[in-house]
Amino acid sequence: MSASLEKGIRVLKEVIDAPIASYFNSCVHCGLCAEACLFYTETGDPKYTPIHKLEPLRRVYEQEYTLLGRLKKMVGLSKPVTDGELDQWQELVYNSCTLCGRCSAVCPVGNDIVYMVRKFREGMSASGHAPEGIKGAVNRTVTIGSPMGVKLPAVKAQMKHVEEDYGLPIPLDAEGAEYMVMLSSMEIINFPEYLGAIAKIMHQAGKSWTLCSTAFEATNAGMQIGNSDLAGLLVARIVEGAEKLKVKTVISPECGHAYTALRWEGANLIGRPFSFEVKHIIEVLGEFQQQGLLKTEGFETDKLTFHDPCQLARRGGVIQQQRSLMNQVAKNFVEMPDAGYMNWCCGGGGGASAIEEGEPLRLEAFKKKKAQLDAVKPDRLVTACANCRIVLEEGLEHYQMDIPVIGLTEMIAEHIPQKGA
Amino acid sequence: MAISNDKDFKSALASLSTAQQRQVAARFVQRVFPLSNDARIKSALDAAGRADIADAELALASQAANTARVESFTRCGRETDWNAQAGHFVAKAAVACVKPAEAGDNLAWDAAMQARMARTCQTVAEGSGTDNREAEEQYRILDAFLNS
Repeated sequence: MSASLEKGIRVLKEVIDAPIASYFNSCVHCGLCAEACLFYTETGDPKYTPIHKLEPLRRVYEQEYTLLGRLKKMVGLSKPVTDGELDQWQELVYNSCTLCGRCSAVCPVGNDIVYMVRKFREGMSASGHAPEGIKGAVNRTVTIGSPMGVKLPAVKAQMKHVEEDYGLPIPLDAEGAEYMVMLSSMEIINFPEYLGAIAKIMHQAGKSWTLCSTAFEATNAGMQIGNSDLAGLLVARIVEGAEKLKVKTVISPECGHAYTALRWEGANLIGRPFSFEVKHIIEVLGEFQQQGLLKTEGFETDKLTFHDPCQLARRGGVIQQQRSLMNQVAKNFVEMPDAGYMNWCCGGGGGASAIEEGEPLRLEAFKKKKAQLDAVKPDRLVTACANCRIVLEEGLEHYQMDIPVIGLTEMIAEHIPQKGA
Repeated sequence: MAISNDKDFKSALASLSTAQQRQVAARFVQRVFPLSNDARIKSALDAAGRADIADAELALASQAANTARVESFTRCGRETDWNAQAGHFVAKAAVACVKPAEAGDNLAWDAAMQARMARTCQTVAEGSGTDNREAEEQYRILDAFLNS
């Protein structure tokens, strides 16, 4: 057994906790999770059945923690998990799983399959079987501080550009601000307009806000690859920045897993409660709307639909706010089939979009989104996740569907009267 | 009087007709085009620069430029190549030049901003600071356009 495999198996043994043991024992092999997974529904290949993606983990559980499994192992009747097998499973655990949580949502016995996949990723990562694309992101996170290699000068350049474009200041390291705004690498690199939209909205709402020079990056590569220590380190960096600036609320950007990492798992990852609140930007906009702080004018009149990011809607429970915001600025907002809690993933979450070799499968899986869109034939598609946005654009381009994709925060900001900005 | 700030620049651009906006926008983007060198973008800029362009030709140019924009996104988790990203913003600027216009759109301003972003990405790639004279060059181009 190689040293890396030995390490991986040790980690797998360690991550098998009471919930995982009970989930394996509870599975009734009904196959409902298969029908909930777009990689299965769009390919028809049974290897993409979510619970099957965990087979090596199940075998480790059986061989190490069940009486029968131990006896079988002792007399050589069970097959040990090998490097070759884990290598083969890489595609199933990373490329074809976006951690979207649809499988967990439909499981009739309540198994949280996403939880299990993430634990399995810990062992895959420790044994060196994570995809190169995600490993690269992790290495850059460790050495540079950002999975896409974004450094502070690049953020400052974007701030300067946005200040010119919108004519509003972008505060940096403003101690005592009410809100600390986080950005995902994707927004810094591809969507500077997001920052401009924030400036406009905060200005109109009369709220103080700031970016943090030591914690501008929300993306958490540790969560994607399956490395809790790294995930915790990245959360700790944000906590340190927020506490140094004494902010009341940290705003997670339009980035799905960044929200899950910070909002739902952050305190557990660092082992203590936060001294501030964490909200997704859509939650903050929803609050501003309710408080009458979001005054817009005019309406979009073309047919718009909304793609719910999985981590926001399904894993985070934020569903009504985006609809209420859409209705504030859109006259013709239509829902796709399965919209909201059971929306289908774009196909690129959970680190999948960083895996170059996974692209053909992603495009195949995108047929599910295509079907959703074909059902309502929108003129434009709105979403609230920078990664979804690019994956959607790629899919639409591949299938030659002329549907522009826009961010909800930016669309709201466009309806804020100039005089308020 | 020569334009020397963004307020006057934006306002002057907004006062142009859509066709004029496309023409001057194409000139802004021509300046940063070497950061991309994508043939689809060149076609879009040529189309935007023509006063007699037909809607169907414009639509084709818009589609091709948009494809170049989508293909040049830096994907989530990939290492950022700021030179390539400059090319992405050139594509985004080109899309602004040829996209279907709606009332109130300031296509030329959008193109100018994306062209500046392209130049900024170039300076980030070079590690030479982010100061550049793109805005001043755009003022000069607009002045020349208005006086021609």
